[in-house]
Amino acid sequence: MNEEIIITVNNLKTYFYTNQRCNKAVDGVSFKLKRGKTLCMVGESGCGKSVTATSIMRLLPTLARIEEGEIIYHSEEGDIRIDQLAKNGKKMRSLRGSEIAMIFQDPMTALNPVYTVGFQIIESLRYHTKMTKRARRKKAIELLRGMGIPLPEQRVDEFLHQYSGGMRQRAMIAMGMSCNPKVLIADEPTTALDVTIQAQIFDLMNQLKETYKTAIMMITHDMGVVAELADDVVVMYMGNIVESGTVEEVFKTPAHPYTKALLKSIPVLGCGKNQELEPIRGNTPDPYNRPEGCQFNPRCDYCDEKCFEMPNDFKVTGTHHAKCWHYRKVLENE
Amino acid sequence: MLEYITRRTLVLIPMLLIITFLIYAGLELTPGDAVSFMVSPDVLANISPERLEALRESLGLNDPFVIRYFKWLGGVLRGDFGYSLTSGVPISKIVIDRLPATIELSVAALLISTVLGSILGTLSALKKGSMLDHMLTVAGMIGVSIPQFFFGLVAILIFALKLGWLPSGGRMMPGYDSFLDRLPHLVLPAFVLGLTMTAGVMRYARASMLDALNKEFIKTARSKGIPEWRVNFIHGFRVALTPVIVLVGFRLPMLIGGSVIIEQIFQWPGIGKEFVAAVRGQNLPLVMMIALFFVLAVLIASFLVDFFTALLDPRVKLD
Ligand SMILES: Nc1ncnc2c1ncn2[C@@H]1O[C@H](COP(=O)(O)OP(=O)(O)OP(=O)(O)O)[C@@H](O)[C@H]1O
Ligand SMILES: [Mg+2]
Repeated sequence: MNEEIIITVNNLKTYFYTNQRCNKAVDGVSFKLKRGKTLCMVGESGCGKSVTATSIMRLLPTLARIEEGEIIYHSEEGDIRIDQLAKNGKKMRSLRGSEIAMIFQDPMTALNPVYTVGFQIIESLRYHTKMTKRARRKKAIELLRGMGIPLPEQRVDEFLHQYSGGMRQRAMIAMGMSCNPKVLIADEPTTALDVTIQAQIFDLMNQLKETYKTAIMMITHDMGVVAELADDVVVMYMGNIVESGTVEEVFKTPAHPYTKALLKSIPVLGCGKNQELEPIRGNTPDPYNRPEGCQFNPRCDYCDEKCFEMPNDFKVTGTHHAKCWHYRKVLENE
Repeated sequence: MLEYITRRTLVLIPMLLIITFLIYAGLELTPGDAVSFMVSPDVLANISPERLEALRESLGLNDPFVIRYFKWLGGVLRGDFGYSLTSGVPISKIVIDRLPATIELSVAALLISTVLGSILGTLSALKKGSMLDHMLTVAGMIGVSIPQFFFGLVAILIFALKLGWLPSGGRMMPGYDSFLDRLPHLVLPAFVLGLTMTAGVMRYARASMLDALNKEFIKTARSKGIPEWRVNFIHGFRVALTPVIVLVGFRLPMLIGGSVIIEQIFQWPGIGKEFVAAVRGQNLPLVMMIALFFVLAVLIASFLVDFFTALLDPRVKLD
């Protein structure tokens, strides 16, 4: 058992095969998820965040395949190679929900409309615990209460369409947390919600992290969310992790031009309305027609001939890495 | 609930009025009347016009069309359905005699097509792209495109005449009238009647199931680590079922229409067979009564569809 790390992802490559073409959606991603810490994954739409998360859960659609790399879950009984397990096999199922849980972006479509919320929470408990029927129901009510849902005894028997948007997302988190998982993967859990509800939900997740030492992997577009929640950050671009490090490192001293551009293009909450925002120039490349070398080179100010070769993962500090030939120049703001 | 039923019933009344009026008018436009079928052609040639007129008068055929319609309607409302113009038997008796056979046949066909169609369609969706799926798709296409009477004749030819496994027609042998004795008679007509609908339900169930399996909540269900059968059936099939039930309801008129032909082919002594005879004989009161039953059956079916949809989908309320 690894004391500090719960999931190690090593050089993960997940490709999609559609219409005889190959989309290298995730192309060599490595990162470590620490116990009881929050890792935020940021990046533009389509850069492969969700695919990375679903690879870990082994919930990829049939046209996607893990081509290379390893996903290691450091369980109490020893390491488990998730990438080598049968997709919907017994072992993988015993991890899903009980050890690694996932909450999805849109609870309206991610929960089943024809069953009560209680039924769907209880379903996890049924397969991962030895609780009696009554105990399971009681636990479901407790979970809803814990998520701040009023009148949980009543709400437990209600359907999704009877919940408000914020309550739906809480119910989803309750479902994810029902078996006290070691890892919670949240794929943009609050994009559909207003800011107050969003803040409440983050509070909840922080509480869970403190109480149960759950590691949280949070996928988001929102730099404000990152600033508020993250311990560590990874920045993805076109299927690669271009920069990783602690929040302070990545936010204060970005070492990759993309991170820098990303930080400039997004208003940070609490920085006033006089921030200078600069959109990143150019467009995201076509995933089927990728640039040579560093994927960001067509849009990068630092680009030179060296950049047509894929850069190594340069070590900035012990925890801070950047995939850029010119990271020193970027750091020094030249 | 009670309010809903009342409202639906109230809506039914004008619909029934319009539909029966249209049928009445349609029959009025066809050439000839009951008298020309009651009296044999050679007698008809020699009979005096006065006597023919008297016969028409006595049968009430000489009143203007609208008056006759309302007379008929008044009778129906008083519970007096009239007499068959050709045999003189009270129509209520004919209906009571023949209705059970038709209900038996239709319900059997309905059960076969719903159950078989959903099972095959679901299987096809779960094994999408497999040999089985391709075979079922082809079978489904054949099923919906070949006319029922043709299937009926082929089935009689193979299973009754060549193989001799099942009787070729009728509903029972004299003296053997328990359900089990009658069952062999029911098999062929019920399957043939249900076949087209089975194919339709199968194709629809496949599409509906594939649609359900593509939903986000299936991924969520999987993410909980529950077994695959539970993901597919408790989550997928359950959601796929509602549209299938709706389709079955909407196809019910086709089933009822089909029963008229199938009863004819298999000499099934139901209301459909009687209907064909009544239309041929311009036996207006009987035609009207049977048509009324068909319309009623369809309307009840649509009510049942609503009811089942509300039962299956918590988002739908009866109101
Ligand atoms: N089901 C799928 N079929 C085909 N291609 C897919 C599928 N899901 C994702 N992709 C492709 O994989 C790549 C990465 O997609 P992914 O969903 O991981 O993006 P993302 O970073 O989560 O974006 P967003 O922030 O918009 O959610 C994209 O190029 C996308 O086109
Ligand atoms: Mg995504």
